[in-house]
Amino acid sequence: MSNETHKKSKGIMRKLNAGTGVAFGLLLGFTVNYLARKYLAQGDDFPFYGDQVIISTMLAWALGFMIGVGAFVGPYRWLMNRDLSYEDQMWLAGKDAGTARYFRFTTDHKVVGIQYLVMTMVLLGVGGTLAMMIRTQLSMPNNHFINHSMYNSFVGLHGIIMIIATIIMVTGPFGNFILPIMIGARDMAFPRLNALSFWLIFAAVPILLAAPFLGGISTGWTAYAPLSTQAPAGMDAYIITIIIFAVSSAVAGANITTTAVTMRARGMTWDRTPIFVYGAVASVGVAIPAFPMFMASQIFSGLDRAMGASFYDATNGGSGWLYANLFWLMGHPEVYVILLPALVALLEIVPVFSRSPLFSFNAAVAGIVGITGLSVLVWAHHMYASGWAPNLNAPFMLTTEIISIPTGLLFLVFIGTIWRGNIWVRLPMIAVYAVLWNFLIGGITGIYLSDVPADMALHGSMYVTAHFHYTLMGAGLTGMIGATAYWFPKLTGRMLNEKFATPAFLIMQLGFQVTFFGMFLVGLEGQPRRVAMYDILFANGNKISTMGAYTIFFGALIMLVTIIDSWRNGDVAPANPWGSQTLEWKVPNPIPLENFLVPPVVTGDPYQFGKPDIYDLGADKEKVEV
Amino acid sequence: MSTKERKLGSVGEFIRRPYVRHIFIIWIFVTIAIGLFAPVQSSLMGNSASLEMDVVKETMTIFTFWSAPVAGLVISVALYSLFGWRSQGETAPTEDGSPMRSNSKVVVGWLVGSSILCVMLLVWGLAAMSESHNGSDPAKIHTVNVVGNQWVWNFDYKDDGNFSTPVLYLPIDEPVMFNISSVDVIHSFWIVEMGVKMDANPHETTHMRVTPTELGIFNIRCAELCGLNHSAMFTKVHVVSKSDYKVWVDSMKGSAQ
Amino acid sequence: MVKRILSSVAVFAAALAFVGLVASYAMSKSKEPAPFSATSAGTVATSQGQMKHVTLALNTYPDSGVPANFNSDHTDHADWVSYGPSTRLEVPAHSLVTITITNYDSGEVLNNSFFKDVIGVEGTATLNGKPFTSVPPDHVGHTFTLRPAPINHNSELFVSVPLLAVAEDAIPAEGYTDTPNVITFSFIVGEAGEYIWNCEYPCGDGSYAKFGNAMSAERWMSGTLSVV
Repeated sequence: MSNETHKKSKGIMRKLNAGTGVAFGLLLGFTVNYLARKYLAQGDDFPFYGDQVIISTMLAWALGFMIGVGAFVGPYRWLMNRDLSYEDQMWLAGKDAGTARYFRFTTDHKVVGIQYLVMTMVLLGVGGTLAMMIRTQLSMPNNHFINHSMYNSFVGLHGIIMIIATIIMVTGPFGNFILPIMIGARDMAFPRLNALSFWLIFAAVPILLAAPFLGGISTGWTAYAPLSTQAPAGMDAYIITIIIFAVSSAVAGANITTTAVTMRARGMTWDRTPIFVYGAVASVGVAIPAFPMFMASQIFSGLDRAMGASFYDATNGGSGWLYANLFWLMGHPEVYVILLPALVALLEIVPVFSRSPLFSFNAAVAGIVGITGLSVLVWAHHMYASGWAPNLNAPFMLTTEIISIPTGLLFLVFIGTIWRGNIWVRLPMIAVYAVLWNFLIGGITGIYLSDVPADMALHGSMYVTAHFHYTLMGAGLTGMIGATAYWFPKLTGRMLNEKFATPAFLIMQLGFQVTFFGMFLVGLEGQPRRVAMYDILFANGNKISTMGAYTIFFGALIMLVTIIDSWRNGDVAPANPWGSQTLEWKVPNPIPLENFLVPPVVTGDPYQFGKPDIYDLGADKEKVEV
Repeated sequence: MSTKERKLGSVGEFIRRPYVRHIFIIWIFVTIAIGLFAPVQSSLMGNSASLEMDVVKETMTIFTFWSAPVAGLVISVALYSLFGWRSQGETAPTEDGSPMRSNSKVVVGWLVGSSILCVMLLVWGLAAMSESHNGSDPAKIHTVNVVGNQWVWNFDYKDDGNFSTPVLYLPIDEPVMFNISSVDVIHSFWIVEMGVKMDANPHETTHMRVTPTELGIFNIRCAELCGLNHSAMFTKVHVVSKSDYKVWVDSMKGSAQ
Repeated sequence: MVKRILSSVAVFAAALAFVGLVASYAMSKSKEPAPFSATSAGTVATSQGQMKHVTLALNTYPDSGVPANFNSDHTDHADWVSYGPSTRLEVPAHSLVTITITNYDSGEVLNNSFFKDVIGVEGTATLNGKPFTSVPPDHVGHTFTLRPAPINHNSELFVSVPLLAVAEDAIPAEGYTDTPNVITFSFIVGEAGEYIWNCEYPCGDGSYAKFGNAMSAERWMSGTLSVV
């Protein structure tokens, strides 16, 4: 017996980590690169050679990295009929492993959640840096800070990096870390897939960041064809990144959905399930049909670029409209993938900080389901001005305007919960107020854009840019900051220092209003999107925007410093500093590896707040003086 | 001193609660403020140069008016809560707020209200769209072919002559149909002050109609990123009197030999 | 406590430094060539009266022009077509600008025959000394097409001149042809401002619509004209 317990595993599995992943990825990448350059046909008659070399190198890097980090160990062992033992699984879950477990293929959902949080912060940092480059160039009408092709690249890369960051920013950290504990589970349904979804993104990010060094991209983040076919080699990096990212999202989506549907604790019927779970499932639920469209659009783009296919070449039987449809079939549901998790995180926050139950839980669910269901029916409102199907403009205007009804229901739930609450104004709650304001503006400007004639004036102008920043950043990212402030004690065991985080947040919000107010202004005046230089008419609006951007930057730096400092040195947090009732607050800090020693049994919903006062007593009468 | 009995939870009692009155007052202020703001966006869009732009500006204004009460409601409740329902201090509240879980009258009322608003938006939008399709005499419509190149617009007049120009000239008060195409990537033909826009797609022809209503020189900008010099893809439209237009057409026909 | 403050300041500074580094790297990669100023040529009578007269001599090459030492800025893509010696042109305000372009490159068919015509010039353009108003649309080497940058919103100057292609059999295996086509044209510039010019003949081989590669890169087939 003692021999068994002390036997050291001879397998490779325990030697694999991010470092070996990078090493093997580079090895495979360089090898394939060498072979491709040597053996692929090149010359004037083979114009696709460059793209073929780059694409094969990138795919080889990604595959090599995934092998090197240990992603295939599980399936490989299963194939070899030496399935992972209990010790192996505990080792994979990071039992007793200290910080090293964050740098390898760890299956513990809490580790994956932290990995996603750090990845999100890195992506937001890179995307934000690019935003500062953009706003610096636009501070003057004919600035020579960076040249125009670099500007176009930065605009496109800022967009796709932020889109990826905002897609993962709530479901990644909190959907992984918090959701399983919130439903009383010990981990997610597919722990190895969980780690896989993270490390796929880790493999994809260097590919995307290589784009500027390969000539950049000449398109926006929407990578419209056929401009994407013409674009420099950086476009191949974009294409491969998206293909990998789509796999990662599909895997994560399957995991979250299965976990929520099958692993809720005993007694947690659907009417006792926290609203955050509904939003997370709905968001990945709509991502599952939508992201494959994005993947397909990029595969076709890659084939056009690297094999001379003509999916998007109208001179050869293809059409740019094919791309636009595939893209927006993803692109519109995708904004709800970004928005919903942030909103439902706030819907968890608002009852706790109003000490009042969630107003009309059923209306909240109806709102989420309505938004998700309708989101797949509205995509061509991005194509009103494309001329693709003018007769479909009216039906798409109909579906787009209808989606305002379930969205409005969510607003009702927010203000209904706040109504006669006992409002505890801390940073998570301040984020709720900020999001209500920003989402009002984002939503109403969206209503203008949904109107076809108005869109003909506003499409492709900076007005649209301001609208989607108000929704994705003002509501989405701000909601994520609120969620981070709320769940910080659970993720890190410490309290976020609000003496600095709250002023930083408010500075960012102030800068945000100024930046995008300036953008609405120049959009109305007639400035197109994605321009590196502009008419002198737009000079003042742009100066205002740039000043706002620098303010956001300043606030963001303070926020970053505060998060890092609080993480390392902040006050140790009690298990439930907010007095919340969802299950994740019932586990102690530090959280045991399998969350619950005894699986919990749930007897009610987590919104049992409320102290009745005279207005709640129903049919009684009161005596009033007249 | 006489007293009166009032049923708790009734509408009459509800509107007499102090916080309801306060929220109502804030709501009035905010709704009026947004209403006053309503025409601002239209005025920032500059002088309208076409019938179509008139519709756009009206739409922006009226949609803002219609959204004002709803936005006002959210803002007034949120604002009031920060003062009237606030728990003092940084530490956790010692007491809970209201235990209200739902109010079916409110939910139904909100759904009905937002649906009515939605229908109003739709009807307005459909009416606006059909206005721009209102036919006038087809014989009087000028036709101009618009070609988008990377990174120059050119205009082919086939109707009123047979020549091509880099700058557009149009007669006032007469509808124009543009047949728009591209020779390379997707561009977007945008006459800014006329509030009309249509993409130029390679090997497809799209159509856009406009009726200029103001004399002057207006901006044409490309509204779809089309590569390196997208920001420079910019030209002008001159809207001139019908007689000046004839003079211009004749001079272009003459020099096109 | 002091250690905390110091490490926070360090993080702040590191983040700031990162952004600054990215900015300076981007600026260094965006470096524009030195402005290529027009040479003064006295004054001349034009349709708008007596004006300063300046000249510019440019070349268009079937490759980067580096071996001929006309444009040392072009070592990164030896096979791309290019304008030389510089794409950043500078002329004085209120002058008649005469540009002479020597085209060493062959060519084929335009994407849009609009660009076969000479547009917007003062007087007539000349091709190898002889006046011309257009070239066959299937024998175009490059074009010089200029329009105002949006900052210049009062200007409507539009100049487009096609550069006749050199015959295929006149292109040697190495080096440049001895019989390039020389095109000269003039136009009037008004007050100070900025203009963007680029070639409108699709010569970006290997890319969609042949408008990628050199055609989509500053310093190659696209540039600026600053009126100072």
